[in-house]
Amino acid sequence: MKRRTKGQKIFTACNGIFLTLFGFVTLYPFWYVLVASFNTGRDFLKGGVYFWPRDFTLQNYEMAFKDERIMPSLFISVSRTLLGTVLGILVTAILAYALSVKSLPGKTGITFLFYFTTLFSGGMIPYYLQLRTLGLTSSFWLYIFPGIYSFFNFILMRTNFSTIPEELRESAQLDGAGDIRILFQIYLPISTAVLATLALLIGVGHWNDWFTGAYYQSVQSLKPASTVLQQLLAEATANQTVKVGQETALGSMTSYTSQSLQMAFVMILTMPIVVVYPFLQKYYVKGMVVGSVKG
Amino acid sequence: MAKMGKTAVNMQGLKNKTLGQRIWDHRILYLFILPLIVWLILFQYQPMYGATLAFKDYKYNLGITGSPWIGFKHFEKFITSPEFWTVIGNTLIISGMKLVLCFPAPVLLALLLNEVRSTKFKRTIQTMSYLPNFVSWVVVVQIMTAIFTPYGGIVNNVRNMMGLESVFIMGSKDTFYPLVVFSDIWKNAGWNSIIYLSALTAINPELYEAAEIDGAGRLKGTWHITLPGIKATIGIMFLFAISSILNAGFDQILLLRQPANTQISEILDTYILNTGLNYGRFEYATAIGLFKSVFSISLMVLANFISKKTIEVSLW
Repeated sequence: MKRRTKGQKIFTACNGIFLTLFGFVTLYPFWYVLVASFNTGRDFLKGGVYFWPRDFTLQNYEMAFKDERIMPSLFISVSRTLLGTVLGILVTAILAYALSVKSLPGKTGITFLFYFTTLFSGGMIPYYLQLRTLGLTSSFWLYIFPGIYSFFNFILMRTNFSTIPEELRESAQLDGAGDIRILFQIYLPISTAVLATLALLIGVGHWNDWFTGAYYQSVQSLKPASTVLQQLLAEATANQTVKVGQETALGSMTSYTSQSLQMAFVMILTMPIVVVYPFLQKYYVKGMVVGSVKG
Repeated sequence: MAKMGKTAVNMQGLKNKTLGQRIWDHRILYLFILPLIVWLILFQYQPMYGATLAFKDYKYNLGITGSPWIGFKHFEKFITSPEFWTVIGNTLIISGMKLVLCFPAPVLLALLLNEVRSTKFKRTIQTMSYLPNFVSWVVVVQIMTAIFTPYGGIVNNVRNMMGLESVFIMGSKDTFYPLVVFSDIWKNAGWNSIIYLSALTAINPELYEAAEIDGAGRLKGTWHITLPGIKATIGIMFLFAISSILNAGFDQILLLRQPANTQISEILDTYILNTGLNYGRFEYATAIGLFKSVFSISLMVLANFISKKTIEVSLW
């Protein structure tokens, strides 16, 4: 491997250039929106703002946080993300613990009941009708209960628990510890990698879920931020030409536009993810690989 | 040692117990499972029963159970409707394009990353490439709108500089397929490469050294060692892709749909959503959903059978 031919050198150089370009293409769109969100909307419409704000302002963010739809929706998003993540992990851990005990009678059959639903489901409409029957379509709990468990997360957790020697549980039992104590004081403390993975997986899922809010939630004030962003997108699409045309024609009534406000909103939704994921990435990849290889 | 002895005795004891006793011993664990069984019934099995709506003439006041059976009428109606071929065609075209263009992207990316010597550079690129996976399609489509808009968007700016006119890129029919393919690669290729990269690390480096001694170059090494080494992983991922061929990326398509492209962007799932939730034709939409579900499962079983016979890769 020490001697490298000319061809190999050329390949290495090209590869490096290509991957750098790939990295740029991946990140630049985020940067572009970030720049747009700190530039006055009216100035942005003229074009030519690429790498740095030309007419710097915080007004887009101010207006976004003052918006009567955006602010309450952020509150919904934060609540469902926190509550949903904690409950989701708890439920997954409890189920995975019970079904990882090898001596449990009927374990295979019960697991199959859960597995079967990944193969076949009733479909979107019967699911919606059921949510409506349960009264969830006009409730905050729509975001918590229906999605509290996923088979994939369960497998991730169970795979992790199955690497813990059974003797550990048995000896703890002999020492008088019950299952609840074993789970919370022995199993979970040594499963931090998987817990971090699950927290990110579930948390990001909640934060990003716009579909539930858009199609299953009937109360506007209960819609999460992602759904409201989608609504703004749909409105902008519906009257694209008219609105922007008006905004340009109206002159300098306001310096922000519906577009620049949305850019700020996009960044408000993206920032928490950008901040969190590099820290958890290490665990995440590790957890994913364990889950996919053994699951 | 004493503990080990005790455990052994305990194990011995377990074997002699009757089933009833063993169930009683694990009562706490059943209590753990119980809430999730209730959940399973409420959110999975009852909707599954609700799918019988596809064979019924739904009357709101009678409910799903009370509504009269009408057999396969809704299915017949769907299959003979003019929308049928459009919707199936659109779904298969989009899925087909993704299978050909988007599926190989993460494999290629993993192979290229695997050739990088500098761990720091490799990790930086990897970390960057995961980011789009963590944001929702709503955010992605918003970003795309900002980039492609005729009002100050960077792409149209560049076009203007080149003396070309501004165009509505997101709102025209011709650009729909390219946008679908590229945004899919942009969002998912980096993240999907993880699985291939982890398969690549499992390949024994001695194989490459041996190949080098035998005079094999880099390309030959990739062809004869690397690709066979991740063949099983590619096979499994391909099976998943095949079995979800009728999905075609629901979120993405739903958000990229615009008045100009409705003809080519109506896929099965968006059609179900429109007829069911927007027009309230619950039983008809349920029938289409069931049709899709049954078709998908058959496809998965068939694909699995073929791959088991040919490349010895199986999901089960």
